[in-house]
Amino acid sequence: MIFAGIDIGSITAKAAIIKDNQLISTHVLFTGYNTLTASQKVFEELLSKVNISKNEVKTIISTGYGRNSVDFADKALTEIICHGAGAHFLNPEIRGIIDVGGQDSKAILLDNNGKVTNFSMNDKCAAGTGRFLEVMARALELDLDLLGEISLKADTPANISSICTVFAESEVISMIAKQEKRENIIAGIHESAAARIATLAAKIKIQEPVMMTGGVAKNIGMVKALENRLKCQILVTDSAQENGAIGAAVLASTL
Amino acid sequence: MQELKIFHEAIQNPGSVALKMKEKKRKTIGYLCSYAPEELIYAAGFHPMRLFSSKAEINLAESHLQAYCCSLVRGILEDSLSGKLDYLDGTVFPHTCDSIQRLSDIWRIKTKYEFFADVIMPAKLNTQSAKNYMRDVLIKFTTDLEKACGEKITRSALKKSIAKFNLIKTNLKKLYELRSQNPGILKGADIHAIVKGSMIMDRDQLVELLPAIVSKVSDVSALDQGKRLVLSGSICDSPDIYDIIEQAGGVVVGDDLCTGQRWFDGKIPENEEPMEALTTRYFERIVCPAKHSSTIARGENIVKLAKQTEADGVIFIILKFCDPHGFDYPYMKEFLDKEGIKNILIEIDDHSLNSGQLSTRLETFMHMI
Repeated sequence: MIFAGIDIGSITAKAAIIKDNQLISTHVLFTGYNTLTASQKVFEELLSKVNISKNEVKTIISTGYGRNSVDFADKALTEIICHGAGAHFLNPEIRGIIDVGGQDSKAILLDNNGKVTNFSMNDKCAAGTGRFLEVMARALELDLDLLGEISLKADTPANISSICTVFAESEVISMIAKQEKRENIIAGIHESAAARIATLAAKIKIQEPVMMTGGVAKNIGMVKALENRLKCQILVTDSAQENGAIGAAVLASTL
Repeated sequence: MQELKIFHEAIQNPGSVALKMKEKKRKTIGYLCSYAPEELIYAAGFHPMRLFSSKAEINLAESHLQAYCCSLVRGILEDSLSGKLDYLDGTVFPHTCDSIQRLSDIWRIKTKYEFFADVIMPAKLNTQSAKNYMRDVLIKFTTDLEKACGEKITRSALKKSIAKFNLIKTNLKKLYELRSQNPGILKGADIHAIVKGSMIMDRDQLVELLPAIVSKVSDVSALDQGKRLVLSGSICDSPDIYDIIEQAGGVVVGDDLCTGQRWFDGKIPENEEPMEALTTRYFERIVCPAKHSSTIARGENIVKLAKQTEADGVIFIILKFCDPHGFDYPYMKEFLDKEGIKNILIEIDDHSLNSGQLSTRLETFMHMI
């Protein structure tokens, strides 16, 4: 039997398909302005990629901040619940999750069934999220995907004191003016974001093994900075960004 | 329900309530917190009205307040400075949090209502001397009111007033009990309008309306249930929150809010000397975190409330920058955690509700409990 999960995030839309308890494939697109169009598109493109027709999909769960606009889904669940289910599906040992997406970061605790037992989430401010890194990449005239690798070459991470995206950006710009090394600035940005996320993890007393999910998990520099802060190893799967969609598909199979 | 409409209309437009009261020869005295002795204000022939922010855009208040003042203080000052509260004949500031005390200073200098009083109640409420002091403060306030109205507040007027407020508060208590037994008899937003309206509307009208509502909802048969939740915190003047909670699959079965049980709990004995009985009520009521009665009172109260109402969880609702509640939160949370009662904190602001994030948090919380 085939099940699907659709995760409409603030920056990207993700879809995942599960067949007979096996992950078949996932797909990612930019969300853009219209969340419903994005959800239809990401779903249809994934279906054609794996050559499955819509009516073969038994149940669909939508998640993410745009979950309620996915009118063809059977049920909507929050991304916190779905990231829990996704991480548990990929690795049942996982007890702690750090999920950093476009505009939210969350720390989640799981029980041995993959059920959420506690969580904490950033407040309105986007500091420490994917959007924060996007703004910084732009200020440094770098492709977002390069931040991680470049930061690993840093010798002394710069000190970014501000926790506000806008103020941190102006700090970065004054460092550029002072000709601070690019890799040090990026490492400093990661440190600053990691410090912010670590307080969320501390709030719920995060437990090992820890998995990082969400688009920001693709940034190796962020993962390393968080490992230093949390003083533990952090597991990252190849499908970290699609983890919420995978969890939604897993939960769809239990409906 | 016809009665509900009256409450919703009144809270939309407190100014029109004040104008009607003026026709009935009752001048309106605004008050800032649930420690204001409404019974005395009413006995002096005034109409007590709790002030809430109209949630208008903040412009004028900015030049008087620091960034760390809550949206309630900010909003009420804005309303006053922009003339929205011109219907008021006076205001009373009970001694509570720092921001309300400083608002009182700005108010005294910047606003021009006929009557003004600070009611400097004691902050520590656990000694006999504090109780004596409380009594003196209430007597001083009585004198202030008498000067303003030009007459003595007689013993019998105070007794009548106490009986009236007892009737109002007893009916609210009854309504809460009925809701706890059968949540869904009233929407959260309706309960909000009833409680808020009970602090704003004509008390003579309330003693008719509230028993009518109680009797109507008593007959409603069992309705849909959801996750049973208790709210804990300061004021909750964002009715949208109740809608978000209900959409997330929850039902509110009780609260310890300043705009809720904390305000109406505690009947004043009607067969005792009225001033003594009044003093005892304000001395012994469940304290607000800006006051102190013991290190366990508030913690034990929230645990008791959660158990009594068989709550599945507690939602702390705190107004952003409310420092008494902010300081109290870790302490309150500890009491609940010790009992294994699941809880979550949400911070709100009168001027903006980030409903997307809020529903993600609350939906996950309902799923968790």
